[in-house]
This record gives sequence, C-alpha cells and structure tokens, in this order.
Amino acid sequence: MTTTTPEIKETAPRADKPQRIKRGNVIGNTGLYIATGVAAFLFLVPFYLIVRNALSTDAEITGEKWKFFPTDIQWGNISELFTDNTVPYATSLWNSTVVGVAHTVGVLLVCSLAGYGLARIPYKHANKIFYLVLVTLMVPAAVTFVPSFVLVSSLGWVSSFRGLIIPGLFSGFTCFLFRQYFLGFPKELEEAARVDGLGYWGAYWRVVVPNSLNFFAAIATITFIQGWNAFLWPLVIGQDQEAWTVQVALSSYMTNQTVNFHLIFMATAISILPLVLVFLFLQRWLVQGVAQTGIKG
Amino acid sequence: MSALNSNNWDRRTVLRAAMGLAATGGLAACGGNTGRSEGGASGKSLTQYFHAYGEAGTQEAIKRYAKDFDGANVATQWITGDNFESKLFSSLLTKNAPDVFEFHPQLQLIRSGQVADLSDLVNPVKDDFNPADIKSHTIDGKIWGVRMIDDPQFFYYRKSMLEKAGVEVPQTLDELVEAAAKLTTDKVKGLFIGNDMVQTQYPLVWSSGADQLTADNQIAYHTDAVAETLSKYRTMFKAGHLLTGAPADSWDPSALIQGLCAIQWSGMWAMPALQKALGDDLGIFPYPVAADGAKPSVFNGGWSMFVNAKGKNVDLAKEYVKWLWIDQKEHQEDWALSYGFHVPPRQSIAETADKLKSGLPAEGVKFFNEYGRFENPSWTQAMITAFEELIADVVRKGVEPEKALDTADAKVNRELKKLFG
Amino acid sequence: MSTTTTRDATRPAPAKVSKTKPRRGVRGTTFNFWLFTGPFLIGLLIFVYIPILWSAWLSFYEARYTVTPDKFVGFDNYEYMLTNGDFVGSLGTFTVFAAIVVPITWALSLGLALMVHRLRFMKAFFRSVFFLPTAVSFVAASLIWKMSIFSGVRFGLMNTVLDWIGIENVAWLADPNPPWYWLVILTLRLWLQSGFYMILFLAALQNIPPSLYEAAAIDGAKPGWQTFWYITLPQLRATSTAVILLLLVAAYQAFDEFFNLLPKTTWGRPPLVELYHTALGQNQDYGAGSAGAMILTILICTVTLLQGRFMGLGRGDENK
Repeated sequence: MTTTTPEIKETAPRADKPQRIKRGNVIGNTGLYIATGVAAFLFLVPFYLIVRNALSTDAEITGEKWKFFPTDIQWGNISELFTDNTVPYATSLWNSTVVGVAHTVGVLLVCSLAGYGLARIPYKHANKIFYLVLVTLMVPAAVTFVPSFVLVSSLGWVSSFRGLIIPGLFSGFTCFLFRQYFLGFPKELEEAARVDGLGYWGAYWRVVVPNSLNFFAAIATITFIQGWNAFLWPLVIGQDQEAWTVQVALSSYMTNQTVNFHLIFMATAISILPLVLVFLFLQRWLVQGVAQTGIKG
Repeated sequence: MSALNSNNWDRRTVLRAAMGLAATGGLAACGGNTGRSEGGASGKSLTQYFHAYGEAGTQEAIKRYAKDFDGANVATQWITGDNFESKLFSSLLTKNAPDVFEFHPQLQLIRSGQVADLSDLVNPVKDDFNPADIKSHTIDGKIWGVRMIDDPQFFYYRKSMLEKAGVEVPQTLDELVEAAAKLTTDKVKGLFIGNDMVQTQYPLVWSSGADQLTADNQIAYHTDAVAETLSKYRTMFKAGHLLTGAPADSWDPSALIQGLCAIQWSGMWAMPALQKALGDDLGIFPYPVAADGAKPSVFNGGWSMFVNAKGKNVDLAKEYVKWLWIDQKEHQEDWALSYGFHVPPRQSIAETADKLKSGLPAEGVKFFNEYGRFENPSWTQAMITAFEELIADVVRKGVEPEKALDTADAKVNRELKKLFG
Repeated sequence: MSTTTTRDATRPAPAKVSKTKPRRGVRGTTFNFWLFTGPFLIGLLIFVYIPILWSAWLSFYEARYTVTPDKFVGFDNYEYMLTNGDFVGSLGTFTVFAAIVVPITWALSLGLALMVHRLRFMKAFFRSVFFLPTAVSFVAASLIWKMSIFSGVRFGLMNTVLDWIGIENVAWLADPNPPWYWLVILTLRLWLQSGFYMILFLAALQNIPPSLYEAAAIDGAKPGWQTFWYITLPQLRATSTAVILLLLVAAYQAFDEFFNLLPKTTWGRPPLVELYHTALGQNQDYGAGSAGAMILTILICTVTLLQGRFMGLGRGDENK
C-alpha cells in the first residue's frame, strides 16, 4: 500500500548522525536539553492549570495563597458538571460529536470526489471550474458569515444540525488538497482498473480510495479537529441552547452570571480530552497530515 | 438506460452512488430535531426566551409556571452568557424565533413591527401597575409589554470595611472617589462598578444633572458635568481603586461577598444572597450627587414580557402572557420575591409583599420610590452600545471625554435619525 | 442544476475527446466529471457564491432587524463603514496584530523545530509536548488565559508570580494602557499555533539532504550559525513562505480569542469582530455589516492577486 502513495514521506527518524559526531558537544547538548526542557515546561503550564483547577474547590482556586495542588482531589466536580443545569454541557458534547463526525465524513466525501474529478476526468471547462474553486480560497469563509447566516436562517436551518454541518462541507481548500494529491497518484493503477470495465466511479472506489487511505486519514484527523474546535459559525447558528456545541458552551461559561471555577475548568478539561486522545494515538497520521496540508498551502 | 449501459456503469457502482446519496440525504434529514417541541398531535406549542437569572431556582420556577399553563406546551430557552440581546435579536429574524420573550421596552422593536400590541391585555388592570411602568411601555398610545419585575440598582457596601477605614457613606461623587481611595488595600479594591465599568451608565448621567435624551428626542447627555463625571471615573481607574477582572461581574454579589471590593454597584435581586452571606455587615446608598443641583439617583431597571408579532401563533402567545403575567398573581409574587428580590410592578402584590416591608429591603424600596428613574424606550440598544463604548474609551482607554462624547454623538444621532427621521 | 448538467452530457464534446483517447466508455467523461464534482460545486454555489451575492445586494439597502429590506440607500452603508472609524480602525488593529504575531510565531516555531530536530533521545516526547496545544480550541485557551493565567485579580497565575517577586497586580485585560492585552493575545496564539508550524518545519528539516552539510563541513563552514544561515535557512525557503502565508491567513481570520477576551471594548477589535458587532451583535445592521464584508472581500482579492503576481501562486496549476 505504501508504494502507491508516493507523496507521503515516512517521518521515521532519519540518520542525522553524520554531522553531529563531534567532540565538545556535551555542553551544547546539555544546553539544548535545558532550553528544550524550559520551553516544554512553559508549554505544559496551561495544561497543568486546567487539571489543577478542574479538581480543586473554588475556595482553593480563589484563596489568598496559591495552591499548587488541590488538598483533596475533587472527582465529584465531574458529576456536578453534568448535573448543573444552567449550561447544557452534556448536550453540547453530544452536538460536538455529531457535528465533528458528520463534518469529517461529509468533507471527505464531497471534497475528495470533487478533487478527483478536477484532477483526473478530462472536461473542457475543468480549468475554468477549478479557477472558480480557487477564487473561493481568496475569500475565507469567515468573511461570508453574515450573508451565510442570512441564507441559512432563511432556509430555516438555524439551531439545527443541518445548519451547523452542511454549509461547512464545501471547503475549497480541502478540495484543492485532494486535487493536488490525486494529480500525483499513479495513473497506471486506475487506468488498468478502467480497462477492466470499472469506469471512473468504480475505479475511484475500488482502486483509488483503498490506495489512498493514508492521505484520507491525515485529512480526516485535521478536519475533525477543525470541526470540533470551530466557534464562530456554531456561535452564530446555535441560537438555541439545545444546538450549542461544546465551544459555545465553554464561551458562555466565561460570561455566565455566576462563576464556578471548578466547573468551568472541568468543562474545559473534558472538552479537550477527546482531541488530546486523538493527538496521542493518531499522532502519526496527524504529523503527516499537517506536513501535507501545510506544504501544499 | 442504454446510455448508462454504454459507459462505465454497472449495478454495483449505481448501488454505491445511491448509498452515497442516501448518506448525504440522511445528513440533511437529521436537522431540525434539536429539542424544540413542534406541537403536532400533542397540542399547541410556544417558545419563550429568558436571560439566565443568577439566583438559584429561577430557571426551575419559570419552567414550573409554564407547565401550569393548559393552553399550550411552552418550551423555555434559558440564554446564558452576556449576549442575550444579540441572541434574541438574531433569533427574531429566523424561523426559530421565540413566540414570547423578556426584554426592555425599546422603540426599535416597535418601529420594526417586531412586537405585538398588548394594550387589550394590560388595559383592564392598568391602574394596578406602577404608573411609571405603564408610561415606559406606552408608545403611540399602545402598551407593548407587560412588566414582570422592577429592579432598582444602587450601591452595596460592607459596613465593617468603611468603619475600619474611617469612611462615611458618600453623599457626593467626590466623596465616593475619596472613599474608593481610602478603602483600597493590597487585597481589596475600593469600588466595583462592573468589570467593564458600564454598569452605572444610567445614574452617572442622571446624577450629573443630565439625561440620555431630551423630551423631543435630542441628545441630552453631552454636558460638561457628564464629561467631568467620566474623568473622575478615569482617575479612579488609573489609580487602581476600581475592581476589574473579577470572576463574576457586578450583577453577581460574589465580589462583595468574597471581599474583593468594599463597595459594589448591583441590583435589588442580589440582596437575599448578600444578606445571607454578610448578615448585618451590609448597607446600601443611591448613586451620589455628581454635580451641583443634581439629585442622587437609582436605576429602576427590570424585565418585561413581549410577544413576537411575527410568531406563528400570536393569539396563543398573548393568551399565555395574559394568563401568567396578568392573571396568575401567585406566580408573579413568587417570581418577584422567592429568589432574588424584585419590586413587583403590580401594586396589589407590592402592598402585601412582607419581605420588602422591613430592614434593608424596605430601604431598597424607598430608594426605588424616592430616587428611582425608569428606562426611556427611545434610548435603544444601539445607543446603549454607543454609550458603553464611550465609557470604555474615556475610563479605560483615556480618550479625552469631549472627543469621546463627540464620537458617541455621531452614533446616537445616526440612530435617532433612523427612528425619528 | 442537474438538468443542465445532463444536457451538457449530450453535447458533442465527447467526440473530440474520443479521438485522442480511443477507448470505450469515454463518452461518459462529461457526465462523470459532473458526477464527481457536482455535489461540491452545487454546495459551493449555494453556500459560498450566493451568500456573497446576497451580501452585495444587502449592502446597498438599509437592512436593520431584517434581511429582506426594501429601502435602497446606494453607497450610504459603505460611506458609514469607511467613515465611522471603527471599521477602518479594525483594519489597523489587524495590521498591528499581523505585524507582531506573524514574525514571532515564525521564529518560535522554527526555533522549536531546530531544537527538536537536534534532539537524540526523547525527541518524540518533546515533539508531542509542543504539538499538543494544537488540540486545544481558541475558546478553551481564551478561558484558561482569561480566568487563570492573566486574570486581573490576585489569584491569577501571573499576578501570583508578580506578587512573589513583589510587583503589584496588573489588570491585564481591563486597562489598554499599557496594552498588556496584546501580551495576552500573543502568548495565547503562540502557545496554540507554534507546535503546528513546528511540524511543518520539522518535515522540511528532515528533507534537507545531509550531503549539503557534509559538503559545507569540507569547505570549512562551522556548524551553527554559518550552516544555519547558508544552508538550513535557504533550504527552508519554500516552507517558510508557506508558513508565513498560513499565519497571515490565520491572523486575518482571528475572531475567537478577541471575542472572548475583550468584550465591551473599543480597541483590540479585528475586522471579523467588528463585523460581528455591526451585523449580528446588538446593532443588527445587516446593510452596514454586508458593506463591511464586501470591502474586506475586495481588499483580500486585491492582496491575493498582487501576491499571486509576486509568487506565481496557482499559475502552475492552470496548464496541467
């Protein structure tokens, strides 16, 4: 399988020994590790704060003396969060899950097909159409949020999954990425499949997709993260509390009438958890995906 | 069919295409069911919007009242966060707009045909309402909203802290500025007027001897005294005597309770929580005199029910508002007195409200009657925003008051021109 | 939409193609093209092109509390947006923001990449640590920054640290003079974004052929600044350009942290926040908001086209 996906480079450690076998580098190396260690420490501080605050009582967080760790770890904060009814947190988690998954599946389906069509199926206006897609890259979706809201609201899609998911599926950028990827996909494979009578559609599903799973996985992880973390559009569309995503719920905690630190930070911790897991377990795809998206951008 | 056969189609690919379409179709079909009861066979339904009250039990109370209504199934949207206005306004444009919502009397809602005429509901009991509330809801001879609660807003202070610092209760703004300075220590700030300093935006104008608008709807806040008051705010802010960045804004009593400040602007609603936490270590005073010849003032805010004139079932919505906020006096009393304290706009309820008859609550009611001033419906949300930006510019950013007032004038005039031509 | 596409499919176009590619089944290429791209293009039309056109239409009307206005006002909305100072000011805010955040993020992510690249053990650990913040949303990060790190009261982390070394508390977000809020926003962005761009640089660093360094060593170049300056940096040029472009786009789309960290201010409002307040906030002025969106669109198109001139972006694609 890996042989058919030439664009993806394994990020396995390469031999970077040659130039680094030098004497007197012990000091340099120690310095390097100290510097990296300090930077890593700073990068971890916010995570520490989330965990500390999520498992403390409010009195400990707001107390006169700084406490590094809660005296008693407050696991009860979790159940308190889900029974607190001022912010529909459980609903918002569910909404984010639905939106994140549907967004990812939808984007992959729609954009990969279009990218393949633009890259591989000869059509006399294909270039003009591709130009129309490129133009939308210049106008980021964020600029069109006012008219988009107007449109979606007149469709009656406000506060619905439809409104949250569908308008975001047509990403010119992802389509562009897929097109670039398919341009580099070895022609011989699919042509052989087409000679066998599969046609474009059959060749696509039987040959192209199964041989591009790496790339699909990479784009999928990135797309899911974007879907989960999106804020502006869900804020505008989620008028009803029942349609809030977890990001909107978090934002409303910040301006709520009564502030419960431990709940707010527990909510934050839980909202981050799925993605942290994605990061820890799917890092290989992710790193490839990031490298891929970024360089093409 | 033959055309299809002649190219690359076989049964399996058609099937896959169909599945793909079904997947997207399913996606499209999964919207809509986000908790809104659509009525249907079970009966008629209404949706009501409330901002999130901070007091425990309020949300349950509103839902309980709604459940008692037999005419329809009423769903409640409890909007948390500080952008209730934005949420309400943009949802009113959509098909998911609430049928009934709470808000303040504002002219643009009426001019844009957004709210329904409720005169026939209120007129029969008009005399029982506080005349000031009737006045602020009457435009073009019609009554557009039913007042639920009146919320006087004034300063709360910790008696012990003032005693310790040797500070008397301020009678003038200068004394307040001085008190804020004396009360500030390295752990406690003297004064809290909201994290964004905008919470006293009404009384600061009134106690400076000015008003938002004149009787013929011209700008009235642009006076030297108001500019002077704003620069005093600036002095306090720069000197670090004002509490900023508090976890909960000043509508919530926690800053005073946690000892983050000595004096705090808040509303009557916070009184039960404050009394419970601080006992006798608590006093109130109105916004003090800020200019010669002016009077102390108290902002009589509050919330009213409105009916969306563009809703699906306006008559039913009106029926619900009449049932709950005109007829159900028990619920009205419960709403005004059982959670936070509010002054009932119905005089028949206010007269029997024993909880407000003695002690600090009675003092609050006295301020309400003596110093209280009500909202002007011509002072709309866009003007409120302009005035809040004025405060941000002068107090926090340090813009010359005169210059910032001119900026605000431009925005307010644009709005006035749209409303009054 | 679908009817026009099937009509297209019966046009003579396939005949031409079939000459060059004599194989059965080619008659359906046009149909296949639309089959693959149709759903995407229809969506693009509905959710991208129509909103832009609708917005253009709204921008010439007085549209307050309504999206179906009837009062034509010509260029009034444009005049209002360009003269009332707020919107133009937001463009200034964006410029300042981009001028600070783009170079610093570029430098930090490159620095992290160089450090991680040179590590010999625990490389994966450090890479994960720097990359992990990318998982956090701007909203969650704003919350941590506002309520814990840069909270203006005494129990915020920064104020606690200041207290330990005997410095008075700072109102990080409340007081715009000195503009500490930029520090808050900058550190937040650095934390969230650097790891992402670090990965890009790491990938690029791994692609530099070691032979280049060997050759340089033979020529007597000292490892360190010299090789960095004459080999590493030039080799990273393509990635650097891409990173700067991405950073610019990201800076331009900034909304989440400004919205959450700086409510009720007149400063620190980039264009998107300004548009939100104009159109969807308390003012509900869709006409003026749309006018602002149109002005932004025109600005970006101009900038992108100019940029395309300079860098030849997208030109190579057309003749493939």
